[in-house]
Amino acid sequence: MKSILITFDQAYYERIITVLDKLNCRGFTAWKEVQGRGTHTGEPHYGSHAWPSMASAIITIVDDTRVAPLLSTLRSMDEATPKLGLRAFVWPIEQSI
Amino acid sequence: MSLYASAVKRPIMTTLCFVAVAILGLFSLSTLPIDLYPDVETNTIMVMTTYQGASAQDIEQNVTRPLENALNAVNDLKHITSKSRENISLITLEFEYGKDIDVLTNDVRDKLDMVNSALPDNSETPIIFKFSSDMVPIVMLSVQADESMPGLYKILDDGVVNPLARISGVGSVSISGAPKREIHVYVDPHRLEAYNLSIETISQIIAAENRNIPGGSFDIGSDTYSLRVQGEFTSADQMKKIVVGSRDGRNIYLSDVARVDDSLEERAQETFNDGRRGAMIVIQKQSGANSVEISDQVLKMLPSLQRRLPSDVKLDIIVDTSDNIRNTIDSLVETVLYALLFVIIVVFAFLGRWRATLIITITIPISLIASFIYLALTGNSLNIVSLSALSISIGMVVDDAIVVLENVTTHIERGADPKQAAINGTNEVAVSVVASTLTLIAVFFPLTLVTGMTGVLFRQLGWMVTIMMIISTVCALSLTPMLCSQLLRKDNKHGKIYTLLFSPVNRGLDAFDNGYGRLLGKVVSHKTVTVLVCIGIFIGSLWLVRRVGTEFFPTADDGRLRVNLELPIGTRVEIAKETTARLAKEWRDKYPEIKVLNYTTGQASSDNVFGSLSDNGSHIVSMNVRLSDPGDRERKITEIAAMMRKDLEHYPEFSKYQVNVGGMGGMGGQSTIDYEIYGYDFAETDSVAQRLVRVLRGIKGAADVRVSRSDYQPEYQVDFDREKLAMYGLNLQTAATYLRNRINGALSSQFREDGEEYDIKVMYAPEHRTSLEDIENILLYSPQGNSVRVKDVGKVVERFTPPTIERKDRERIITVSTVADGVPMSRIVDESQKAIDNMDIPVGINIQLAGSYEDQQDSFRDLLTLALLIIILVYIVMAAQFESYTYPGIIMTSLLFAFSGVFIMLYITGHNLNVMSLIGAIMLIGIVVKNGIVLIDYISLNRERGMSIRRAVIDGGRSRLRPVVMTTLTTILGMVPMAVGTGQGSEMWRPMGVAVIGGLTFSTILTLLFVPTLYCIFAYVGVKNQRRKLRKAKAKAATAK
Repeated sequence: MKSILITFDQAYYERIITVLDKLNCRGFTAWKEVQGRGTHTGEPHYGSHAWPSMASAIITIVDDTRVAPLLSTLRSMDEATPKLGLRAFVWPIEQSI
Repeated sequence: MSLYASAVKRPIMTTLCFVAVAILGLFSLSTLPIDLYPDVETNTIMVMTTYQGASAQDIEQNVTRPLENALNAVNDLKHITSKSRENISLITLEFEYGKDIDVLTNDVRDKLDMVNSALPDNSETPIIFKFSSDMVPIVMLSVQADESMPGLYKILDDGVVNPLARISGVGSVSISGAPKREIHVYVDPHRLEAYNLSIETISQIIAAENRNIPGGSFDIGSDTYSLRVQGEFTSADQMKKIVVGSRDGRNIYLSDVARVDDSLEERAQETFNDGRRGAMIVIQKQSGANSVEISDQVLKMLPSLQRRLPSDVKLDIIVDTSDNIRNTIDSLVETVLYALLFVIIVVFAFLGRWRATLIITITIPISLIASFIYLALTGNSLNIVSLSALSISIGMVVDDAIVVLENVTTHIERGADPKQAAINGTNEVAVSVVASTLTLIAVFFPLTLVTGMTGVLFRQLGWMVTIMMIISTVCALSLTPMLCSQLLRKDNKHGKIYTLLFSPVNRGLDAFDNGYGRLLGKVVSHKTVTVLVCIGIFIGSLWLVRRVGTEFFPTADDGRLRVNLELPIGTRVEIAKETTARLAKEWRDKYPEIKVLNYTTGQASSDNVFGSLSDNGSHIVSMNVRLSDPGDRERKITEIAAMMRKDLEHYPEFSKYQVNVGGMGGMGGQSTIDYEIYGYDFAETDSVAQRLVRVLRGIKGAADVRVSRSDYQPEYQVDFDREKLAMYGLNLQTAATYLRNRINGALSSQFREDGEEYDIKVMYAPEHRTSLEDIENILLYSPQGNSVRVKDVGKVVERFTPPTIERKDRERIITVSTVADGVPMSRIVDESQKAIDNMDIPVGINIQLAGSYEDQQDSFRDLLTLALLIIILVYIVMAAQFESYTYPGIIMTSLLFAFSGVFIMLYITGHNLNVMSLIGAIMLIGIVVKNGIVLIDYISLNRERGMSIRRAVIDGGRSRLRPVVMTTLTTILGMVPMAVGTGQGSEMWRPMGVAVIGGLTFSTILTLLFVPTLYCIFAYVGVKNQRRKLRKAKAKAATAK
């Protein structure tokens, strides 16, 4: 089991949910409005006067086999529209109830 | 869920909501009446009281004063004016604007009831009219007749006047020029004397013979019959055979002493239409009624009325005011449509995409149409003010939609899909869109709070624009994102035509951006010079303030002239007719622009309401001239009026003349300046008036100088010696009645024919009342039957009396009035005021300025207060938005340049500062400030993003140049059709268009340079202060250690 944290511009939200559905990743937790900025080029998403856009975050816990297809779909999505900003991070899950 | 999110998610509901609004709006539009202005007419009520036989002074003392004192207590009364002339007292009550006329009429009636007992016994009950005699008739009909001429009055009264008077809103329908039938018994005084008869006896005998008397009923056998004596004359000729007395056993017939003349009343108004004698029907409306509606109904009724008239009687229209109103509104509608077109073109040129252009421009009709719902609900009309509001708003309603669309496009270009982009993009700008709408509402909403006459004008403008702005914002936050999500595409592929057409446009715009960026760089580097130059320009323009004249309203060219001519008082009507005919012919030849020329002269009869309320008399001629439409002629109406005034100088026969240009009262006509001279003493006020007239005649541009008090009327008075009268057993009243019966005629009886009654009057034949001797030789009979001549018991002397005594606010008054012809009103006022200050005016007399000048002063004062209020409100809104005291201050400096721009443009185009241009100037506050907000907002955003002050200013300026230029251009181009329009009535709104264009252009150019510079200065000061604080804190910390 792996957990994947996906942070992205909120415009991606519906597309990512669709991707999760398609790949049979049923469970997830989403934060619709979060703030942040990218390490290198990512434009700040603060929801402020100067940086009005907002980001969202989704964490989903999936079987190891699903990680690779999910990441590759997300990567192609990011490459298609690099200006929006989309990142995903994977952790192993040690225990759960 | 937010408004825009639900709108994007439910496109059908959103679309249908707006379709519903549009349908409601269009339905409202179809019910809206048309008028020239919102209901700005003064509420006027007239009270007319007749008191037969009283002189002007008696009327003033006994009728007018008690009535005035009572009526003065009516609520909402603005002015009370009165005219007391022989036999009649006419009180005009002028009320505050916007009050309900019916309520006021009831108040007036109550007060009249209270005072009724205080009036003289013989005076008639005061009559209330719900209109003012100054009000221009809305429709004038000419009547041509041949063989029906003798019976014309009756024909018209039954067939035309009564049906027309039933139309609701009609104040009065009067016939002039159709004298009533009257049967005259013209007596020869010498024969009368020979037979020892008097007028009174003859009159009584005629009355006694002209009777039908029922004799009761009686039974014959089984039937009951009624008995009747039918003695009434069936023709006038029968009267000749009446026996009026007997002498030496022989009967004296009426034909022996008199001739019976079945003809028309002797003194009547005569009307000439294009040189031919005929009648005129004048229709006046009640205060507050809609002219166009009434005239529509009148025109609709005319064909059916015409059918009922004898075939030789032809009705025709001389003047139809609604014509002008309709044309004016049509040309304004055209202006609005042009504005719409221009705005669409600008939007398309800047956006370069038809889908985007469609999304933006669809907000225009929706916002405009929605405002019609407001008009219909509040019972307003489609008029100059409401249509101007549309024209003004066209350029502004798209602004919000543009901001939303731009941001959504940015999101889409970044890669978001249209639906998400529409929601998120709108979300980001929603607050600033609402804030900028609030600034505009801060400008326009206070307009709805103004009172008085300007209030009536502005309330509608304020509400309309406020509503349209709110609707446009709602549109921008719901319809626009919905349409964006549906219509905008991620990849914009452009066709060949697009590339061909728009690459030069884009290159041009880019070059413009870069050029501005460079200029801004230079300006920011030379802050002191920039500030000094800008302030210099502002101060320079202040010098123009004195150069631009002021007036109340622009003179509108409605193609109508009213000419009032006066011959010396007492001139016979024949001379007036002959001279006027000559003048009419000269004018017809000289001015081919004249379409219709009609004039009326002579004494009006008492049942001609219009005629008897306005000035009339044998020496007075009132003329109506209709010119061709303004578009069809070279010369302007004011030029023609000026030339006519010149022509009239060559007619020494006319002692006074006045050429009135167009005009629905104070607005649209040439500006009048009235000098009201208050004072009781006739001689003193007369002399002051004459001096004032001399002063005014000396001022260039002061035309038509007129004194309201008419010349003293010469009259013959018979001074009876009471003692001598008493010796013959006579008293003054009997003696006077004898005189009246012989000259004016004794009303003996009524001749009945076809259910109509005509007066039978017995009097001296006209040839026996032409000299003083005829009067002196009149025989008076004592009760004992002795006769005595007038010259034996009294003297006939010639005296002069003022025919009319005018009062205003319960004081005697003379008005000296003049018209500003070709020069601004303010100049005449300034010059005359100087002369008046030097004048030696007796104690107890004072001179006050009134007329359109008074109205202008009132309105200007109101408007300036309003401007101040608006500026404060706008400042508050901006300060709240920016959370700063300095930024709004910086933005507001652009108002100074708007002010300069207005004056520079007015000066260049030769317009005056009037109410219309002031409206334009006030609207500028909102529009100009908006530009500053866009600029400062983006600059401060840049700084928040971490740029240096200089870069933030230059970069921000460059990237906001297009939106600023675009919104400015939409507004300016929206106003261009107004400023250059040549349609009918365009004189009215041209100054407004010019003021907005001038102010906006000038202020936008300077704002783009001055505001960033000022921002730099303040930002640097801010930074320095911060650093100083930091240094101090550091130093403190160091010392503390």
